[in-house]
Amino acid sequence: MSVLSDFDIIVVGAGHAGIEACLSSARLGKNTLLITTNIDRIGYMSCNPSIGGLAKGHMVREIDVLGGEMGRAADDTCIQFKRLNSNKGPAVRGTRVQSDKHKYSEYVTAKIYTQKNLTVKQAEVKSLIIENNQCVGVVLDDGSRIFCKATIITTGTFMNGVMHVGLEQQSGGRVGDKATVGISDQLANYGFVVQRLKTGTPARLHKDSIDWSKTIPQYGDEVFFPFSFLSERQLKLPQVACYLSRTTEETHDIIRNNLDKSPIYCGIIEGTGPRYCPSIEDKVTRFADKVSHQTFLEPEGLDSDLIYLQGISTSLPVDVQDRFLKTIPGLENVKVVRYGYAVEYDFIEPTQIYHTLETRKISNLFLAGQINGTSGYEEAAAQGFIAGVNAAKKIDEKGPFILERDQAYIGVLIDDLITKGTREPYRMFTSRAEHRLVLREDNTIDRLVEQSLNVGIYAESQFEVLNSLKEKRGKLVERLNSEKIFPTKDVQEKLVKIGSTVLGKSITFAELLRRTEIVSSHLNEFGFMMDSDPLVAEPVEIEVKYSGYIKKQLELINQAKRMEGLLIPEAFLYAEVRGLSNEEVEKLSRIKPRTLGQAQRISGVNPSAIQAILIHLKGKKKFKEFEVEQHGTGSGHTLSN
Amino acid sequence: MINVDRDLDSICAMITPYGVGGVSVLRICGPHTVPIVKKIASFFPEKPESHKSYYGILTDHLNQPLDEVLATFFSKGKSFTGDDTVEISCHGNPQIVKNILSELILAGARSADRGEFTYRAFMNSRIDLVQAENVLALIESKSKKSAEVALSQLRGDLSKKLEAFETDITWVLAHIEADIDFSLENLSVIDYAVIEKKISEIRAQIAALTDTFQNGRKIKDGVNVAIVGRPNVGKSSILNVLSGEERAIVTDIAGTTRDIIESEIFVNGIKANLQDTAGLRNTEDKVEKIGVQKSLEAMKVADYTVLVISSDEFDEADLSQIPAKKDLSDTLFIFNKKDLVPNLNTENYYDKLISFLKLRNNYSTEKLNRDFLKEKTIFLSVLDTNALDLLKRFLGNNMKFRAEEDLSLITHSRHFENLTKASEGLERALMLVKAKSGQEFVSLELKEALIQIQETLGKSFDDQILDKIFKEFCLGK
Repeated sequence: MSVLSDFDIIVVGAGHAGIEACLSSARLGKNTLLITTNIDRIGYMSCNPSIGGLAKGHMVREIDVLGGEMGRAADDTCIQFKRLNSNKGPAVRGTRVQSDKHKYSEYVTAKIYTQKNLTVKQAEVKSLIIENNQCVGVVLDDGSRIFCKATIITTGTFMNGVMHVGLEQQSGGRVGDKATVGISDQLANYGFVVQRLKTGTPARLHKDSIDWSKTIPQYGDEVFFPFSFLSERQLKLPQVACYLSRTTEETHDIIRNNLDKSPIYCGIIEGTGPRYCPSIEDKVTRFADKVSHQTFLEPEGLDSDLIYLQGISTSLPVDVQDRFLKTIPGLENVKVVRYGYAVEYDFIEPTQIYHTLETRKISNLFLAGQINGTSGYEEAAAQGFIAGVNAAKKIDEKGPFILERDQAYIGVLIDDLITKGTREPYRMFTSRAEHRLVLREDNTIDRLVEQSLNVGIYAESQFEVLNSLKEKRGKLVERLNSEKIFPTKDVQEKLVKIGSTVLGKSITFAELLRRTEIVSSHLNEFGFMMDSDPLVAEPVEIEVKYSGYIKKQLELINQAKRMEGLLIPEAFLYAEVRGLSNEEVEKLSRIKPRTLGQAQRISGVNPSAIQAILIHLKGKKKFKEFEVEQHGTGSGHTLSN
Repeated sequence: MINVDRDLDSICAMITPYGVGGVSVLRICGPHTVPIVKKIASFFPEKPESHKSYYGILTDHLNQPLDEVLATFFSKGKSFTGDDTVEISCHGNPQIVKNILSELILAGARSADRGEFTYRAFMNSRIDLVQAENVLALIESKSKKSAEVALSQLRGDLSKKLEAFETDITWVLAHIEADIDFSLENLSVIDYAVIEKKISEIRAQIAALTDTFQNGRKIKDGVNVAIVGRPNVGKSSILNVLSGEERAIVTDIAGTTRDIIESEIFVNGIKANLQDTAGLRNTEDKVEKIGVQKSLEAMKVADYTVLVISSDEFDEADLSQIPAKKDLSDTLFIFNKKDLVPNLNTENYYDKLISFLKLRNNYSTEKLNRDFLKEKTIFLSVLDTNALDLLKRFLGNNMKFRAEEDLSLITHSRHFENLTKASEGLERALMLVKAKSGQEFVSLELKEALIQIQETLGKSFDDQILDKIFKEFCLGK
């Protein structure tokens, strides 16, 4: 490098990705600079005031175990806690908290200002300094240049952001904040594929203008399980309710009659919006037979006057918004503080980055968050964290930090993005994780403790809690496997009452629990006390009750591992492989899968193509780069010659 | 997506050309070869010696005999593919081969892709790239047109059915996944009673299809051969000669056989159930009446009917043993007691047979000629020492399986395998839904079923379920 660096790492953007990126980098000892266009909006919740949810809650816990901040920030500012899907299967339960939006931002800002090795600067980054295909610094709007060893861009929806309200447009990434112009054009000129996405947000209402008697209050859970394994299991703030109301046919009529004023419907917006989070215009049009859609009125904070109107994102003109909102029960006299709008922004097609989130074309440049086509605070934070860690590791010339699909939802997220790309803002769902039976919230520490020590933010001593949990779980399992239940009259009667079958002979409580109709709460009735701590009891119940399925899932993972262990050299020439179609050659050359396992996941690549690549690699004897790990026993499929 | 590394599967296929021959050879190789083979070959040792053959009878999952075979073991590193391998030499009949392949698949193997043995040999460094070139060529042609090839192998009807299964399973999965991932969104459309019914319906349809692949009764139970004829023409004697034991009570009193006597023999390696029936005649004897009724029923379900005629008493009444207008393409004629007619002129017998058959409208006229009948007719005396040989050869020549059943052996066993696995997955899913178990487990089973169907159709599993969810449901609370 020709110049002396001012910082080790520069993080551009202070949203949920930027926060995790700069904190992890600073915590790993790297002299870090965080540049944001607005230091008053660090860790701002631009959309809904909540963290977590299905699959997203999993990621928050993963970030927490690895050393990120999001979980603690959410725990600390929680004003409503809910365990979703608690009546469903064990692998698909997810934690969601509603946070006090301002306290969340305050908490995060404080963390950043007190973090060692971290400097904050308010400025706009106009361009990147690139030398020999390596990013060595940034140029600010005042023309000054700051040099660094690695740069992480987390500009969210700000890159060439355009906001739409009705037929009016305005440059900007969020209400009150201007767009970032320059970086994406520079990247496009450098040969990156840059595309447009769209997202939207609903109106914010003044709480005193709402007739709450016409809404139905929705309360959170009484028992609080924090995201963070380090947080106390005590809520810090008073809890609030959300309120449910519904759109009416009148609402829909107004929306339908004004579609010509919607920027989406008259073709002004070209970017693709998320199918799982459509605007109210979309809902009314695509599901015309539904006479009503539900909406949740969510307080943005304890001291805030603002109410977030979940489910009614719109970009209709303000007068139309005013009219249709007043047809929703409770909102007859509503005062809108901020109207809903849509925002269109640039994103970098994510197949152009590595699993480390470093770009292929420009080394030491990392991208994280919505710039990679994702949606959601949690998805952004996860990427920010991974980018921060990998930037730090790269500077230290340590190996990359990559989570596999069978280890974490974060692994699924990044592998999906860089393998498949995305056409709409990518949101995590549990159904995206093929190994979801083992990727649960309750076993997050267990599955990631080793990875966390590998990251190096937490010391081993901080996982003492895990050791004590493990010990208690072990004891519980032992009791389940040794203590027996006997076919007494009383027991048989209780079993029949539960809807189970009577005992033929005595069995262990583990065997009883494996019966489909028996759950752990039943065991109490037969004199077996589960551990009172759910962090002990829940994983044990799941591992015992569903041992067959978990075993099956682990077998599938082991089978898949062999392919994940077969590395493909980056310079591999797919065109030389006999037996690949043109489409396959094009896709494989573009995406450059790291392993044969990843190659398998590229849509449009046939199993026979994978065989052909294997044969080619073996035939060409490129074995130095072609490392083989053998999994399973007795397969006889070593690739050594 | 469920990723399965297919290179670790144990694979099986027939390695000799199709068709009826003396012997067919099946190969199974892979890490689980021995335990899989042991499931259908109880005689096979747990720790077999390499390059040693073991003789015994294979049995199916219901413990019924399949065939008598020779199974040779080649241990890992010493076989063609480099994996543990067993080669099974069985009787050269496609039905037997299909039968054994089906059972191997039920025991945990999967049918090998074209060229897969060679592919494995190459991967295990048993052969070099030049030798493996033909495999590459196969893969090349396959990858370019894999979907079309897979589809063209399916008959139109079948692929339509499979596509319907795919659509239906995707529909169920979309509902279950939406219930998991969008449970907050008040999607009241999910009714598990409907889901249970739907899964059950799909499963029943797939089961009906696998039954046809398995060729049902023929494979499981062998072919049914009804031996009919007027009383005392020697039906029971023929059965006894064929089965080599005194199964039927033989007397010279007409009407001795009143029940259907069954005996099993192997013809061309195919099991044939011989059914000796009571001779048909107008009788007042109550017991015999029941016997007569039973023999009419036996003929209805028989794959082959053998009409036995006493050469010395041949007349129109012999033909009355088989119903008028019966399609006689699977009927054979045995003229027994040839020794009782000195200087027997067969031509006269054929002419007579033709004229009787014409009267009963059994054949279309153009088919009725001597050459046609000669193939289906034999003259013998069951008491002669060579009677057994003559009978076996005669039955063997006539009981051939139709060519169309032989052609697509691989395709068929592949379909059978995939559909069987799909059906099993659906069955487990059904049990889980009934027990109100976690949706994610139901989903896992359904996805396995879906992948099997899609593999048969040459498609790969991708984001179809999410796409379906977004299409079907109004999301975004």
